[in-house]
Amino acid sequence: MRELRELWRFREVLYNLVRRNLKVRYKNSVLGFFWSVLNPLMQIGVWYFVFKVIMGNAEPNYMAQLITGFLPWLFFSQAVLDSAACVTQEMALVKKAYFPRSLLPLSALISNLVHLCLAFIVLFGLFAIWGVDVNIHYWLVLPATLLVATFAYGLSAMVAAWSVFYADVKFIVGTVFGLWFFLTPVLYSISGFLARTEMLGERNWLSSLLQSSLPTLKKVYLADPITIGILSYRSGLLVGGENPLVAYPHLLSTMTEAERQAEILRAQAVQAQVQAQYPFWHYVLIATAVAILTALVGQIIFTRLSRQFAERG
Amino acid sequence: MIEARNVWKQYRRPHIKITSLKEAVVAFLRGQTGYTDFWALENVSFSVAPGEAVGVIGPNGSGKSTLLAIIAKVLEPTKGMVKVEGKVCPLLELGTGFHPELSGRDNVYLNASLLGLSHDETRARYESIIEFAELPEVMDAPVKTYSSGMVVRLGFSVAVHMDPEVLLIDEVLSVGDEHFQHKSFARLREFREAGKTIFVVSHDLLAVQALCERSLWMQDGRLITDGPSREVIRAYREAVAKQEQGPGG
Repeated sequence: MRELRELWRFREVLYNLVRRNLKVRYKNSVLGFFWSVLNPLMQIGVWYFVFKVIMGNAEPNYMAQLITGFLPWLFFSQAVLDSAACVTQEMALVKKAYFPRSLLPLSALISNLVHLCLAFIVLFGLFAIWGVDVNIHYWLVLPATLLVATFAYGLSAMVAAWSVFYADVKFIVGTVFGLWFFLTPVLYSISGFLARTEMLGERNWLSSLLQSSLPTLKKVYLADPITIGILSYRSGLLVGGENPLVAYPHLLSTMTEAERQAEILRAQAVQAQVQAQYPFWHYVLIATAVAILTALVGQIIFTRLSRQFAERG
Repeated sequence: MIEARNVWKQYRRPHIKITSLKEAVVAFLRGQTGYTDFWALENVSFSVAPGEAVGVIGPNGSGKSTLLAIIAKVLEPTKGMVKVEGKVCPLLELGTGFHPELSGRDNVYLNASLLGLSHDETRARYESIIEFAELPEVMDAPVKTYSSGMVVRLGFSVAVHMDPEVLLIDEVLSVGDEHFQHKSFARLREFREAGKTIFVVSHDLLAVQALCERSLWMQDGRLITDGPSREVIRAYREAVAKQEQGPGG
C-alpha cells in the first residue's frame, strides 16, 4: 500500500521516463515511429510467405491470425527483454536520487504498451482494407492486454533485478523466449492441436513419454497467460467473442462461401469434444491467477533486491 | 530536521568481482567465495535542527558520502535509523542523471520531476532555471554536446530551484568557473538565510566554514567531533598535520 502511494507521488517521473524512452529509441532515425510498426509487419510477411505460400498451410485467414497472435507476443517479449537493461542503464539515477525503483521496469512496460497502441492503428488499417466489420467484441482486447501486461510486469521485475547482479540474465531470457515463442499459438491455431489425441512423428521413448502425459501437457499449455492473451485477442478481433479454443475465423470477408462452409463443418466436428474437455473460462481464471501471482512474486523479489542496487552498480 | 540515531552501515566487498554466472561458478569451484565485510559507518548519531547549516568533513573513505546517501534515502542503514522531516533536495554529483541524447529542456523536466516538482511547477520556473545556468541558447541541443561545466551548471540550477526544506550537498560547492562559483555560493547563503536546513559534505574547508556554523568530523566511519565549524576544522587540520609529520614527529 505504501509502495502504491509512493508510485502515485512519483507519477510525473514515470511520465518523463516513458517519454524519454520513446524519444531516445527513435531519436536518430528518420522514419521514427514507423520502425516500431515496420519490423513486425515484415516479420509477419515472411512467416506468411513461408507457411502459407511455400508450405501451403490450409488455415483460413492466416494473415489475420498471425497479426493478432504476434501483437501480444511482441508486446510481452519486448517489455521483458527491455527490462533487463532498465535498472543497469539508469545506475547514475539510482545512485544519486531517491525514487521508487519499480518505476524503472514500469516505464519499460508502459513504453512498450505505447508501441502496442501504435501497432493497433496499423491493425485496424488492415482490417479496414479487408472489410472487417467493427464489432462490440473488440473490447476483449482490453482485459487480454491487461492480463499480458500483469504477467509481463512480474517477469520484468525479476529480470530487471537479477540483471543488476548477473549480466547473463538477458541472454538467458533471450534463449528462453526463443523457445517459449513456439509454445504460444502465434504461428498456428489451437483447435487442431487440442483435438489431437496422438503425438505425431516417430515412435521413440520421448514421444511415448509425451504421449502418456498429453492431457496434462495440454492443460499446462493453456495455463500460460500469453497463450490465453493471444487466444482472447483472436476471440475478440476475429471470431466475434466466441470460445477461441473451438472457434473458426468466419468474420473476414476474404473467404469464399465454399471455404466458409468447409471450415464450419470441420470445426463443428471437433467443437463438441474440445469444448467439453477444455472449458475456456476455466483457463482464463487459471492464467489470471498465474499472472497475478507472477506479478506479486516479481514485485517482492524486486523490492528486496532493489535495496542493494545503489551498492552493486 | 535530520535525526540520525546509532546508524551503522555495512558493506560487503568481494575479493574478486563477479558479474556473470560463469564467474560465479568458477569462483565457487575454486573456493574463492570470500568477501570482506566492513563497516562504512559505525554508530553515528547526531541531529540537525530546522534552519541549521551543518558541514561534514573528513578524509576520503571516512563514510561522509555514505552518510549523505542514507539521508537521501538512496542507501538503507544496516542498523539504526535516520529520520528526515521536510522536503529533501539532494544535490549529489550534479547532472549525472542527465541523458546525453536528450535536449537540455527534456533533461530539466525529468530531473525536476525526480526532485519532486510537477510539470506545471517546472514550467513556471523554467525561464529562471536556464537564466541562472546561463544557457538560454542551447536548451534544445542534446546534452552530449554540452561542455562538462555547462552540465553541472544546469544540474545545480535545477536543484536550487526546487525550494526544498532540507538541502543535501555533496562536493558541489565548486561547480563551474569562478563567476558561477560565486553565484552558486551566494545562492546557498540565500537558502541559509531563508531558514532552510543545509547538510554539506565537502573537502573545501573554507567553504564549509563560510556556510556552516556547525561541523561533523568523520574518520573511519566514526563521528569524531561535533561542534562549531571553526573549532572542528582546526582540530581536523591539526590531526592531518600531525599525521603528515609521521608517527615519530
